[in-house]
Amino acid sequence: MKVSYFDNAATTYPKPPSVVRATAEAPVKYGGNPGRSGHAYSYNAAAMVYDARCIAAGMFKSSPENTVFTSNCTHSLNLAIKGIVRPGDRLVISSMEHNSVARPAYALSKAGAIVDVATVGKTDEETLENFHSLINPGTRCVVCTAASNVTGRVMPIREIAEMCQSMGVCFIVDGAQACGIIPVTLDDGMNFICTAGHKGLYGVTGTGLLISDGKYVPKTIIEGGTGATSAELEQTGFMPERLESGTLNTVGIASLKAGIDYVQNYGMDDIFNHEQSLCEIFIDGLKTIDNVTVYRKGNRFVPIVSFNVEGIPSSAVSEALSERGFALRGGLHCAPLAHRTLGTLPEGTVRFSPSVFNSGTDVRRLLSEVKKIAKDGL
Amino acid sequence: MKYTLLAVSSITYAMKAKKLLNSMGIFCEVSKTPKNLASGCGYSVRIRDNPDYVTGILQKNGIAVKDRTTVEM
Repeated sequence: MKVSYFDNAATTYPKPPSVVRATAEAPVKYGGNPGRSGHAYSYNAAAMVYDARCIAAGMFKSSPENTVFTSNCTHSLNLAIKGIVRPGDRLVISSMEHNSVARPAYALSKAGAIVDVATVGKTDEETLENFHSLINPGTRCVVCTAASNVTGRVMPIREIAEMCQSMGVCFIVDGAQACGIIPVTLDDGMNFICTAGHKGLYGVTGTGLLISDGKYVPKTIIEGGTGATSAELEQTGFMPERLESGTLNTVGIASLKAGIDYVQNYGMDDIFNHEQSLCEIFIDGLKTIDNVTVYRKGNRFVPIVSFNVEGIPSSAVSEALSERGFALRGGLHCAPLAHRTLGTLPEGTVRFSPSVFNSGTDVRRLLSEVKKIAKDGL
Repeated sequence: MKYTLLAVSSITYAMKAKKLLNSMGIFCEVSKTPKNLASGCGYSVRIRDNPDYVTGILQKNGIAVKDRTTVEM
């Protein structure tokens, strides 16, 4: 059975042929350990890693030394949040955060930090007001997603960045669902961008990025070999090595380099327009089905659509769709905070998230199956 | 023949230095820093001529030169 994959918010699939090729070739071409030895294999791998760093830095308007390779967005967020917030500090997060933010925040609250949750309102103005009311002189850090992984709603990160800058507060952005689809760069005013390499940037799983403007040097949560300052027990003080202990994922980095190349050659606007047009087809179709609810409050979205069929749990709908050849994700999407905000606890929603590799025909076939489920049940 | 090793902080800075110098037409290679030059297992850029001039370029571009040595071959 042919499966149409609409779970690209979890990880993009398929990967572009150039990424598949780069991933397959990397263990042969870049077999040495980058930044550890003095032989050609090591230099060759290090040169590729540095090229990838430059390409990623260019995309996010950072510098290569402030571009850190991580395992995924959760890893990046943990490095940034736990690296900045200290016991006694105040931390503000939005009410649409993924557990990759909510859980580190909760862990920090148990260690003595004070965590406030700014409610995401019906409008950006309301959201900004809620953030503003919670940021005070004791606030060390604000964390907000650039776009919700449940509804795709784009958050007013530029305005939040401005607010943080004016109050001397560190601002960390979770770019997992936005990077590679809409422009997110340090020019927006945040101090850190955390993102996955395997979603909109089309690298393989096990890749992520932590982009910094260099203003804050996070304390470390992992220490170890960095290939620099090796005679000292104190962790390396300078970036990016400070946050890159242990051997890098050279194969993943090669894939991410190819993925970013792919996005830049395809054009981010064209990627967004293609995926957004698929979302519009899907939403227009869902609106013609009586007992379907679409969760779409806000004015700007990345290409993600959440919906429910009345009376049927989201996990059962996604399972039924899977049996019919459509891969979507039901449930809480690791974002119970966001579902509480939407009023979709405990069942969650069914999430549709296309990529450049989906077509309108795939979406129409999916709509026809959703219609059958809504009319006839499972 | 002689060459000079300019020790920098890390492989990232060594690669950055190489890219910068090559873009200016200055030939250089990345090389492991000898143990007697700087502490730990760092990296250097290996240049042939004008170590003062090259050190100045690197420092102007935010690449700190930690140590340097000239080797006669």
